[in-house]
Amino acid sequence: MQIDQKKIDEAVSTIIGYGGTHILDCVGCGACSAVCPGVKAGFDVLCRKLIRKIVTGHLEEIIEETSSWGCQACNRCTEVCPQGVRPQEVVFAFRRYQANELAFSTSSITSQMNLFETGHAVFTDPKANRKKVGLPEEPPTSAYNEQAQKEIQTLMNNSSMGELGLF
Amino acid sequence: MAKIGVYVCHCGSNIGGVIDVSDVREYAEGLPDVALARQDLFMCSDSGQELIKQDIRDGKVDRVVVAACTPRTHEPIFRGACEKGGLNKFLFEMANIRDQASWVHGQDPEGATAKAKKVVSSAVGKARNLEPLEEKYVDVTDAAMVIGGGIGGITAALELARMGHKTYLVEKDPSIGGRMAQLDKTFPTNDCSACILTPMMVEAYSHPNIETLCYSEVEDVEGYIGNFKVKIRQKQSYVNWDKCTGCGACAEKCPGKAPDEFNEGLSMRRAAFIMFPQAVPKKAVIDMNACINCAGRTIGSEPKVNAKTGNPILAPCEKACPAEAINRSLMLDPNGTIKEIEVGSIITATGYKVMGKENFKEMAPDSPNVITALQLERLISATGPTGGKLLRPSDHEKPHTLTFVSCMGSRDKNFHTYCSRFCCMYMIKQARLLKEKYPDLVINMHFIDIRTAGKDYDEYYTGARDMGINFFKGKVGGLDMLAGDKLRVNAYDMENGETIEYESDLVILASAVEMSDGTTELAQKMGLQFCGSKFFRELHPKLGPVETAVSGLFLAGCCQGPKDIPDTVSQAKGAAAVAAVPLAQGKVKIDPTISEVVTEKCSGCGICEPLCPYGAITMKKVDGKPRAMIAISSCKGCGVCTSACPSSAIQLHGYMEEQILEQIAALTA
Repeated sequence: MQIDQKKIDEAVSTIIGYGGTHILDCVGCGACSAVCPGVKAGFDVLCRKLIRKIVTGHLEEIIEETSSWGCQACNRCTEVCPQGVRPQEVVFAFRRYQANELAFSTSSITSQMNLFETGHAVFTDPKANRKKVGLPEEPPTSAYNEQAQKEIQTLMNNSSMGELGLF
Repeated sequence: MAKIGVYVCHCGSNIGGVIDVSDVREYAEGLPDVALARQDLFMCSDSGQELIKQDIRDGKVDRVVVAACTPRTHEPIFRGACEKGGLNKFLFEMANIRDQASWVHGQDPEGATAKAKKVVSSAVGKARNLEPLEEKYVDVTDAAMVIGGGIGGITAALELARMGHKTYLVEKDPSIGGRMAQLDKTFPTNDCSACILTPMMVEAYSHPNIETLCYSEVEDVEGYIGNFKVKIRQKQSYVNWDKCTGCGACAEKCPGKAPDEFNEGLSMRRAAFIMFPQAVPKKAVIDMNACINCAGRTIGSEPKVNAKTGNPILAPCEKACPAEAINRSLMLDPNGTIKEIEVGSIITATGYKVMGKENFKEMAPDSPNVITALQLERLISATGPTGGKLLRPSDHEKPHTLTFVSCMGSRDKNFHTYCSRFCCMYMIKQARLLKEKYPDLVINMHFIDIRTAGKDYDEYYTGARDMGINFFKGKVGGLDMLAGDKLRVNAYDMENGETIEYESDLVILASAVEMSDGTTELAQKMGLQFCGSKFFRELHPKLGPVETAVSGLFLAGCCQGPKDIPDTVSQAKGAAAVAAVPLAQGKVKIDPTISEVVTEKCSGCGICEPLCPYGAITMKKVDGKPRAMIAISSCKGCGVCTSACPSSAIQLHGYMEEQILEQIAALTA
């Protein structure tokens, strides 16, 4: 491994710029990774390993990394971190970096398309199940409300997500 | 007219690296009453001091201003130089252009230089109005007090006693010994703690120069270096210690129960109890919070009489005592007694406590099989609740897998940012002792990193690896309680970059070292200050590690910061040496920067009297009218009275009104 101070500075300031403000407070104890459900499920470049890659300047090298999209946003890492690093914010900052470089994981594109089309990032058609238990087939959400969908799409098109040109 | 000499110091690059020292010197030269201004790379060096002395001898200056670092460390040095040159040393003023300019404005050299000029002109303004002051001397009481009877306090008391000074050793528990008495063995040599400590306890207790006051707490401290008046509350033990032989018969018969503090709550003790088997003094006390007043024998009550025999019905403790040391008919004061002593110097050695597991919610604190390291120490001690057998608390079964977790509450912004310093070593010690005794145990140790700075410490650690103890770099994130009293350990192996998950029978938390209970109150009584990590603040982190801002008050052991036994003993011996200085000299200087009442201006209103934190002010009749008087030996020069006096009748020497006003004028010019 080469130590390239310029790359380190760039990587750290990029992540700080995207909201991973406390990344340099990390002492690398690994408590975050120990409790991270994503890491346990095999998305290993989250928490400690992700932070380590960034603070050693390996941001570009991991741009296609899919682990970041395995973060469930449970925030247990923030709970156990002894140094106030808020690892989840680093993960989210990394995602923002990836998104701005259009380095999405396909799994995340699907959920964003879902969000754009139905107002739900995770959407499965509930009609059959609802009918079975005697509920009205269509729940009162944006998924079945064209007006609401239009509003959501307008919002998304006018947000920085719209600038990515996904929709 | 004053002839002020200004000496601007570069302090190497500390000041010179930011501030344009020549510019400041030139500016100082132009200030009114400044006779000359010089600069030097290190004003505190011999050659720097010689500049000052020579200028005084040559009659060029009669007031000295040094613009350099902090008066906290360097004022005495420059005052000494003035004195050697033949000038009254109070005709000196220091301008701190390091802490107040170069250090805080390092990014702004121009601004820092401008500020340095202001600070210098303020000091020159004050120097113009300085008056010569004379130091006075008072006699010293040749005795010392040591607060805390742990290994630090015992060591300090023994050293003072060996030097020939009468020493009072004050301990809040019924026995001296402290934390070290609770330990099984000690690193890095595995000496049995009790075997090396007990002889010292006995020696201290029986030393002719040491008066041990156990079950006692400091109630009040008055006075100053050389002459402290201390009130000590001797807590009510409800046992006549003159008669008690420490046989323990009362404890055997007593039905009242409470968690045993000495065993860290792992077992119950009786209401009447002896602290531990090797207690010194070995005396019983009755804990009234746990006492159930058998036979209606509340303290001070008359016993009921057995109708058949006509004998009084006594409580079991009374009946059991063969020495007649317990008599519940006596109306004993629950507040105990107050003993007043006079001492010349005081050493505080109040030790530490460890954080309880309840602080760490992710560490399954509800499981009885999660314990603190100090609890494990009791579990493996021969005098502990299991007689030294390793049995897990939930079911008294022998555990198979053990987990040690480091840095619980230490190096953690949520609790304490400092390193508790000796946890790594005691964890390794505990693991080694257990692996020696039970080779089939699986011992997993989780560290952020292993800190073994100390003589023979790293060898002790690598030896533990050789013994087959498993070490993992990476903090444990959390524990989950599982069926069968087991715990799931969620950890991480930094080297592999992988999570670790396994089941453990017993988890030991190396929880952070904290200041003992009651130290805030003690600090208030004695004027001690705390540092950022909530331990007592020493005078100087490097050069005054046992002294405090209060002269005559010294520190030893963990109350100044976490440290292991060797460091505590070293510091205690150091503290004893400096605490003996005033006792050996027999006299101490009184700083003349104290307040004085101008009797002619005093209206006798009395506002100052209750405000004085040191009780130095009394109202006395002068020509039949009340006037404030200040005792020079009690006054600390804090200035509270001076600023409160509505008639401006109280002046604080060294901080006179015209001196301060000139300073303000210079700063606001």
